[in-house]
Amino acid sequence: MTTPLLETHNLVKDYAIGGEIVHAVNNVSLSISRGEFVAIMGASGSGKSTFMNMIGCLDIPTSGTLLLDGIDTKSLDSDALAEIRNRKIGFVFQQFNLLARTSALDNVAVPLIYAGVGYTERRARAQDRLEAMGLANRLQNTPAKLSGGQQQRVAIARALVTDPLMLLADEPTGALDTQTSLDIMGIFQKLNDDGITVVLVTHEPDIAEYAARRIVFRDGQVIEDAGVKSRRRASAE
Amino acid sequence: MKDLLASLAGWGVNVAIALTALRTNLMRSILTTLGVMIGVFSVILAVAVGNGAQVSVSQQIATLGSNMAIVVPQPDSGSGPPRSTDRGRLTERDGDAILREVSGVSAVAPQIRSSVQIVTPGRSATTQATGATPAYGAVSNITASEGRFLTQSDVGSAARVAVIGETVASKLFPETSPVGETIRINRVPFTVIGLLESKGSNLGNDNDDQIVVPITTLRQRLLTTATQGPDDVTLILVGFEDEDSLLTGQKEIERLLRDRYRVAKGKINPFTVRTTTEIAETTGEVTQIFQAVLVAIASISLLVGGIGIMNIMLVSVTERTREIGLRMALGAKRSDIRNQFLVEAAVLCVIGGAIGLSLAILAASIFERIAEFPAPIGFDTAIMAVAFSAIIGLVFGGYPAIRASRLSPIEALRSE
Repeated sequence: MTTPLLETHNLVKDYAIGGEIVHAVNNVSLSISRGEFVAIMGASGSGKSTFMNMIGCLDIPTSGTLLLDGIDTKSLDSDALAEIRNRKIGFVFQQFNLLARTSALDNVAVPLIYAGVGYTERRARAQDRLEAMGLANRLQNTPAKLSGGQQQRVAIARALVTDPLMLLADEPTGALDTQTSLDIMGIFQKLNDDGITVVLVTHEPDIAEYAARRIVFRDGQVIEDAGVKSRRRASAE
Repeated sequence: MKDLLASLAGWGVNVAIALTALRTNLMRSILTTLGVMIGVFSVILAVAVGNGAQVSVSQQIATLGSNMAIVVPQPDSGSGPPRSTDRGRLTERDGDAILREVSGVSAVAPQIRSSVQIVTPGRSATTQATGATPAYGAVSNITASEGRFLTQSDVGSAARVAVIGETVASKLFPETSPVGETIRINRVPFTVIGLLESKGSNLGNDNDDQIVVPITTLRQRLLTTATQGPDDVTLILVGFEDEDSLLTGQKEIERLLRDRYRVAKGKINPFTVRTTTEIAETTGEVTQIFQAVLVAIASISLLVGGIGIMNIMLVSVTERTREIGLRMALGAKRSDIRNQFLVEAAVLCVIGGAIGLSLAILAASIFERIAEFPAPIGFDTAIMAVAFSAIIGLVFGGYPAIRASRLSPIEALRSE
């Protein structure tokens, strides 16, 4: 497979704040291949989150090109972008973003609603994913009755339920303690070993060490892009 | 077919999402629904009362008798009040001429009407006396439920006999049967020979508050003011064999009377001939206007209910901006978000509409029992109510739903 999963050429995102134009992302060109585990790092305001929102098709670039799985996203309307988010990308958020007062099973099934999957199959696939996350006995729990780590595992199950090409995780351990963070990174590493591409946004250097490649942003530009030298394995810790 | 099933399933999901969201804010949902409920309740009740008025009016017209013309000695003045100088005359001989010369006439019933005072030992009543001939019974479907009605010999001999209505009877003889009793009408003693069969009341007009005496007796003994001629009458009822002869007969009566009174060409008639068909039409129009006004007023409360829905849906969209962002991140299209909020508004409205309808049915049946006024709610009205409230939901939920669907995914997701 020669086409990279993701390719950007001179990607720019400008914001007008108080009459002044801020280049949140400034001329970023890079590519991510299938099966990579990438950590995007940078201080807050470095443009890493804006970059991630654009590659997740949540935000639209001001200029430049973004190719996702070979498709130029510039030509896509809002429905087509929604479909890409649904089929090709799985999001994991810092605050988990589960629907309150909704069972784990129903939370995981939400993306399948928008994929047009029928009720019975939705339930079955959501259940499979939750079981794979070790939550077989938590299917009917609402988020309020789950620990932070369990909630993040529900969120990962939800991200995986449509069999996406890429997981996009925005500070997935930001709201978790050290041990739980380790568990979650272990899950990401295992998923990556099974072949799924993982892109992780973090500002914690030690979390980035679980990735295989590290891209560092500062002032909207990439200042470093290299392999992680001494990669940590969560399973070994 | 498969697409249809899939889209139905999609709507089913939206209903499930809507119910969850509505349950989450139960108190708010109930209060919002209340607005629609009251709106639907008042519209349905207004329709029911309007229908009731129409039923009541057609019953009243049926009590007049069918296929009948009423001839009164006053010109049709259009919209203005009749001018007294134009007042014409009508006599029993005119009635005889109509019976003789107009085709399709089955009976002619001349009448004199006068207000009278009736006294029995210890009691009294004021009512309307109709001086009539036996033909009155045939033309107006009037019979005696007890005793007998007037006969030709009563009229011929100007007998002092009266057939009285139930309201009059209950005022004068609350405990005993009036038949055979003696009453004094304007101080003249009369014998009660019968009780009129009840015709009930329509729109506050009591059909049983009257008495019938022979026309000859009324003219000779009860009239307080002298009439112009010896056989002047207040009006003539003309019964026809069928509706067709009524239509042609109306013109024939006018022509005959113009001849008899030598009305010059171009002058207006000094009398008016109205048919029961015409009366039914005009009163029907009046009650329709009455109903339309009622429904219009009630619709205002439905409008207010709809605005309440819009208000709450806007609040709901604002509160759930983050959820909207999340759903978009998970693959919801704009149309999915729009439909979710539309369905939520429609569910609120349909629930409100169904409760409002049930309450209206309950209220109408209580109303019928207490006010003795029909307020029928038909199946079509019920369907209309529920459909109408769903439309209210779609119209007033539409703007908030579209606003929700236009949110940018990332801005929605970032909102707190």
